[in-house]
Amino acid sequence: MGFSWPKAAAVGIVAGFLSGLLGIGGGVIVVPGLVLLLGLDQYSAAATSVATIVLTAAAGLVAFGVNGSVDWGTALIVFVGAAMGAWAGAHYMHKIPEYVLAGVFTLVMAVASVRMFF
Amino acid sequence: MLEIIGLILLGVFAGSLAATLGVGGGIIFVPALVALFSFDQLQAQGTSLAIIVMTAVVGTVTHARAGRVDWKVVAVVGSSGIIAAYGAATLAQSMNEDLLRKVFAIVLALLAIRMGLRTYRLWRISSALDSG
Repeated sequence: MGFSWPKAAAVGIVAGFLSGLLGIGGGVIVVPGLVLLLGLDQYSAAATSVATIVLTAAAGLVAFGVNGSVDWGTALIVFVGAAMGAWAGAHYMHKIPEYVLAGVFTLVMAVASVRMFF
Repeated sequence: MLEIIGLILLGVFAGSLAATLGVGGGIIFVPALVALFSFDQLQAQGTSLAIIVMTAVVGTVTHARAGRVDWKVVAVVGSSGIIAAYGAATLAQSMNEDLLRKVFAIVLALLAIRMGLRTYRLWRISSALDSG
């Protein structure tokens, strides 16, 4: 498996469609899509998903920002912590075995699917 | 002061999970802002998106330095995702949201089973390497 335009576009369309319709973040679809369809390993899939989230979340933010429903003061305070967390997570990720990352992600998917169904 | 410390800790927790798993973190930010900091739903979603954009930039830069980001995939998935999201927002009124939610939950559960099987294979390979 390798890069394929139709497969990559399919992942984007499904993730974008569902986040636009149901308000679910794209990552929970993009990561398994990249792993199962495009054959990326768990590390590259997570990293690539985070980079696409910059684009998709920014597009969503434009819509929300226009409506004035963003509390920037709170956002900046949370970001102080989140920046440290994101740096540490991305920096030390390679020390975590791939099956642990994949297992935790599977758990997140399972919880999300149960919560969504009921 | 206590509230500021709480918000920073929320960031550390969700930010590290988001960067490691490859998600935005809205699944943590939105309910936490509503339940713990008494935001209304709309303001929680907007504020969560603002945090996610900034945090994902930090995660992306750090991941990219480690050579893990596949930029071609980012370009295709990102652009098709944005177009689909705007299309979906326009379609939203004419869709049966509850049915869609249930169908999607089942698809996600099937994907989770496939990811679980893959996790099991990865674990088997890893433990075979450890003992071999």
